[in-house]
Amino acid sequence: MKNMTFEPLRWQEDPVRITVFHDTEYLQAYFQVSAPRDIEWICKGRPVEELPRILTILSPPHHLASAMALDRLFEVEPPPLAVNMREALLQAHVFRHHLRKLYFLLSSWQNPFLDYKTRESRGEQHMVPSHILDKIMHHVSLSQETAAILGGRCDHPLSAVAGGVSRFLKEDHYHRLSEIAESCLKFGMRLGKFLRDEIFGDGKALDGFQNLQIEPMASLALAEKDDNVVLRDPVEKEMDRFSPDMIFEKIGLHKELWTHEPFAYVKGQSKDEIKNIFNSQFFFVGPLARLNSGEELGSPLAEEERQRLIEALGPFPHFGVVAAYWSLLVELLQAAEKMTELYAEEKLTGPDIRTIPSEMGREGYGALESPQGLIYHHYQTDERGIVEDIEVLDTATENNALHCLLTQKAVEVSMAQGKTREEMKNLIEMSLLPF
Amino acid sequence: MGTNPVPNKKLAIFTATGCRACENAILDIHYQVSSLARCADIAFWPYMLGSEVRDLEKQESIDVCFFAGAIRTSSDREAALKLREKSRIMVACGACAAFGGMPGLVNISQWSVVSGQSQRTMDNKQQTNEEEKPELPPLESRVLGLPQIVKVDYLVPGCPPTQNFLWAAIQSLVCNGQSPARLSFAASRLPEAIAQAITSGILPPKGSIFAGEKAVCASCSRVKEEKRFETYKRPYQAYEELGRCLLEQGLVCQGITTQEGCGGLCTAMGQPCRGCFGKAEAIFDPGAKMVSAISSTFDSNDAQEIAALVDDIVDLVGTFYRYTLPTQCALFSTPSKD
Repeated sequence: MKNMTFEPLRWQEDPVRITVFHDTEYLQAYFQVSAPRDIEWICKGRPVEELPRILTILSPPHHLASAMALDRLFEVEPPPLAVNMREALLQAHVFRHHLRKLYFLLSSWQNPFLDYKTRESRGEQHMVPSHILDKIMHHVSLSQETAAILGGRCDHPLSAVAGGVSRFLKEDHYHRLSEIAESCLKFGMRLGKFLRDEIFGDGKALDGFQNLQIEPMASLALAEKDDNVVLRDPVEKEMDRFSPDMIFEKIGLHKELWTHEPFAYVKGQSKDEIKNIFNSQFFFVGPLARLNSGEELGSPLAEEERQRLIEALGPFPHFGVVAAYWSLLVELLQAAEKMTELYAEEKLTGPDIRTIPSEMGREGYGALESPQGLIYHHYQTDERGIVEDIEVLDTATENNALHCLLTQKAVEVSMAQGKTREEMKNLIEMSLLPF
Repeated sequence: MGTNPVPNKKLAIFTATGCRACENAILDIHYQVSSLARCADIAFWPYMLGSEVRDLEKQESIDVCFFAGAIRTSSDREAALKLREKSRIMVACGACAAFGGMPGLVNISQWSVVSGQSQRTMDNKQQTNEEEKPELPPLESRVLGLPQIVKVDYLVPGCPPTQNFLWAAIQSLVCNGQSPARLSFAASRLPEAIAQAITSGILPPKGSIFAGEKAVCASCSRVKEEKRFETYKRPYQAYEELGRCLLEQGLVCQGITTQEGCGGLCTAMGQPCRGCFGKAEAIFDPGAKMVSAISSTFDSNDAQEIAALVDDIVDLVGTFYRYTLPTQCALFSTPSKD
């Protein structure tokens, strides 16, 4: 039996290795996360109030989920100003995250770091004009600026604390925030037109991906109305609705020795072996999973874009790569609209930024919809507030099965079409990117 | 446009075990990132270009390598050795590469008992009898910083590194001689010795740290009143978010032992410093210095009162060595390869 290895992959946050075993009758691809994240070992023994600053190494929204868990642990209610500032920070990260992924997509056909002269001499195709890539990076940097204003830093923010946020905004921040939000919204609309005209849809740049999709799979997302976790089966029907603190009663984790990332699955009858877990027990999270609810969006431009997606690709649910890229655009517009709404002075001013806890608690949890999907934190401490137990459900774990199935699919398609090693790697990377 | 008198430098950017924030910080040099092409050929960047470590064999040499992330697996070690072998200048970028970072806190836990490599490899072999499964790279026995594996020429600390210093490092190491205006911009943000070197067209002395010269307190905007440490507070408790020095209010803030360069970013946000720039130059061990600084300013001469105060202080190791346990804790660290 031959084997092929691809390591590392473009745009993956975790260190990833793809191993493919194959002969004439057998083809099995493995999506391996090749280093542990050790979150449990880093966090145990730390004072619980430090966790928002530590867990942010997973991704910036984990900082906010951790602060929400502290609110519950200390039994404090953050004042409205702090709630708005946290939400404003989250939306900045949604915008940034989705825009970066679209930048990666658009720059994937060429080396974005080659100067014009070298590109010309190599005869590279200009699928996407450089000025568009530059504009995208400019708006990525603008959203990073808002995230830094609201969070103190863009990556590894530090403003959210137990019971609120750590600092008021400054006078000149208000003007800058609304200026950036307006620019992001305008740019989002222009980018949407470009993506529809040149990239999405039949006969466009993503044409090779039209049939690349996984078998229908359940999805997990937070309901906007009541903050409960909703599990939907592959045909959009609601299977279960429960409070976030019951997540680990409903969702199990399975470990395999060939990857450091566990697999999350819906607990059911046959959970002993991963090969016995049918697709119905796997689920996925993220932008496409959220849109798979089929519910109308509150933001008009995003809803308009969602309707265009439905018109082009059919009604939800979708499980394809093109729909996943398109859902990034829908949510990007939604984030920009929410930013314009939230980045108003009256929303970000108030008498208090923080409710001071009166005593130490022992247990807390927090859940939120991060750009990549639902995340959940649960902490238990001793009487001095030192972390004794911690459970974190991250999107890398929730989407692990999806990543494996997509990788297998991309490898099968590449083999069937006789693609080169390089083309196969490219197909795997671009299939995994939007999820 | 005239011909470029200086050939473009070959640049490598790599993250071992880390969170990508350092690479994001490089992308975060705004739209300038695409103009990097004017002075550098990015020859190796797995995250953005998909370069594989074996591609390095095809490279004759790399001029400057920005290495981020801690050494956690044998793959990390191999990549570090290979990149060192190929690179003329090796830069440890970010707290994980420079000092071991937050992943280094694993070294004081019991992880090896539970998820150690011997157990993992053994189980893996047993499984291969039934169906072939891929292997994982073995884990190192403990998390290390890059200087403990290979000789490192420069450090750009921070978690993640600040835009100013990262940009200054790129300008002075990668784009030197390209644009006087940019060089003077970079120089204005650097300590005098490094600034003088790069404006004279030479490389900064090996071992230079792209950070400030003093401790964080020097650039912290908070008001210091030389008060004594009379009470111990934790950040969830009530304190003044703005104004007074956090340490003087009783919070453990490591500004006094940490290398300056962030501009007092965390303290300006009302949060105590946790030392992501590593220890200031004159300090031997940041934790020992913090213990000495706090204990010498206790506002009491009564042994019982002092004992009660000390009893309240929690997680000294995890706080004082949050980012530096593998390399800067005298009791835990091993020497660097210099």
